[in-house]
Amino acid sequence: MEIFNHLATGFSVALAPMNLILVLVGCFVGTLIGSLPGIGPINGVAILLPLAYAMGFPPESALILLAGVYYGAEYGGRISSILLNVPGDAGAIMTTLDGFPMSKRGEGGRALALSAVSSFAGSIGALLLMVISAPLLSQLAIQFGPSEYVLLMIFAFTCLATMVGSRPVKTLVGVLIGLLLATVGVDSGTGVLRFTMGIPNFFDGVDFLVVVIGMFAISEVLALLEQWARNDLSITPVGRSFVSFADLMKVKWVVLRSTIIGFLIGVLPGTGASIASAVAYGTEKRFAEGDNSQFGNGDIRGLAAPEAANNASAAGSMVPMLTLGIPGSGTTAILLGALMMFNITPGPLLFEQQPQIAWGLIASMFVGNLALLVMNLPMIGIFVRLLSIRQAYLVPVIVMLTFVGIYSIHGDSFDLYFMVLLGLFGFLLRKLHFSLAPVILGLVLGEVLEENLRRALSISGGDWSILLNGPMTYTLATATLVALLAPGLWRLWKKSRRADGAVDRKLVEEE
Amino acid sequence: MYDRIFAGTLLLLSGLIAWTAVGFDVPFQYEPLGPKAFPVILSILMALTAGWLLVKPSRNDWHPDRSVLMKLLAGLATMTLYAVLFESAGFIVATFLVGTVFSWLFGEKPWRAAAYSLALSLCGYFLLKDLLQLNVPAGALLGG
Repeated sequence: MEIFNHLATGFSVALAPMNLILVLVGCFVGTLIGSLPGIGPINGVAILLPLAYAMGFPPESALILLAGVYYGAEYGGRISSILLNVPGDAGAIMTTLDGFPMSKRGEGGRALALSAVSSFAGSIGALLLMVISAPLLSQLAIQFGPSEYVLLMIFAFTCLATMVGSRPVKTLVGVLIGLLLATVGVDSGTGVLRFTMGIPNFFDGVDFLVVVIGMFAISEVLALLEQWARNDLSITPVGRSFVSFADLMKVKWVVLRSTIIGFLIGVLPGTGASIASAVAYGTEKRFAEGDNSQFGNGDIRGLAAPEAANNASAAGSMVPMLTLGIPGSGTTAILLGALMMFNITPGPLLFEQQPQIAWGLIASMFVGNLALLVMNLPMIGIFVRLLSIRQAYLVPVIVMLTFVGIYSIHGDSFDLYFMVLLGLFGFLLRKLHFSLAPVILGLVLGEVLEENLRRALSISGGDWSILLNGPMTYTLATATLVALLAPGLWRLWKKSRRADGAVDRKLVEEE
Repeated sequence: MYDRIFAGTLLLLSGLIAWTAVGFDVPFQYEPLGPKAFPVILSILMALTAGWLLVKPSRNDWHPDRSVLMKLLAGLATMTLYAVLFESAGFIVATFLVGTVFSWLFGEKPWRAAAYSLALSLCGYFLLKDLLQLNVPAGALLGG
């Protein structure tokens, strides 16, 4: 089987001593970042990205580290959800519903253990699906021409607009801001300088890292500052941590279903862990109809479902990033940007031309999830203790790391000023309920979108009908229409039968 | 209200972008679209969405009071100060000062904040510079 050869290549990369250390570091930092309320995976990856870049890792190692932070955070998010009733990241919101009641009745240890195993099962299940589906998808994508890519990106933005954020129009504005930011700098086709305002630092474009760190990390510091109140959060006692066979048997089908749901939602562009866990929770509640009175009061099925789903979606959102070059979530948009900084364009050829990156990452995710299981079962006490780190000590470290990271790229104070300015901008956007993930997606995809659009139209000599030139483009156009109309129809249908209000769109923020 | 202000700004901006893009001086181009078309298309879309937002803004639920605004301004000013000092005064001095302010803003007692930030800046410097080999400015103090 060819797949086993690929996996062997991957494991030879992932098990190299340096990469092994990076996986462990990434997973540890990820769990920590996920468990601390306030800093989600997107901030963790954003803060570490310039450091990884400046330290001169080879691209596959940097990606392995950053991806470790990403899926590690999906594990960590549940810790504060269960013990403090405060979700550590957006994907862990649903975990509070049944996790916190469990820990209130003294079953914190049981909840932590079971959710760790669910997370692990969700991740591994999604990874297996990834191993099977990624090569197939990249085979399909190899036939994509510029028109297909243009439509694919429009599809991605449509999914994003209708599913993420408070209002579609606000998400669209975010995407447009990102796309316009991407046009700043010298135009690769003609050498014309665009929107540089005469500032030399903008001649080769707005630096991706500065935008990401500014908009996410700096605005997060401002948001923390705004929310800060003397927090005397009391951690409920963990109790005995154990996994019982009976619990596992009770949730095995729940986990399987949630894994598949999470994976599929993760693959869809723009939708990530928060939506996946919400949908999985809702589905399981409906599945358990007649026997679902305990949902929300500490039902282990309600705990297992969102945890399996959010981890599965983290793996799922890597699939379109690696095979199509279209990220499946805000965090994978940053990972994509990271690859581009290393001059690697993810896409169908990645699996053939640079198997060490694609398969190395996949293999490292198997290793990382095993490590995470160990970190989250016997070593859970460490993270619980770290939960009580005060923000007075945490925030200076975050600020320090962001400044060092950005400064070390070009060694130019201009980037620091620009970063603070973008931080203010990002903060205002958040306050007005614009999500920031669309901005990053637009920024990452802007150049590719323009390039493909221009290439398509030079093939046709300026005839726009080339964008709909074959069965593949028709399919994509139809999918875009479906993505555009489906949420509206879904809401109508839902209104007619008034399901549970657990899926609150307001809760769905950045991944 | 804020939505309207923001949308209005975007509308102005999209006009400015379109005007700038149309004015690009393109000496030669080999393809039909060229560097102007994409920004122009984007600015039209931006104008449409901003217009929509102007007509139908969301209800604003952000009502920061004076103390919150002051805190935000303090945070912004501190980070700007960090950007100013980072290169000129060097990492250690800048991190010590800024770390103290932030630690204090998040409720630590002043002298403990200062002690923590001193430790952070010294440890951070050697960790980041020597262990991770990053480009960390030493500043005038260390003769960097």
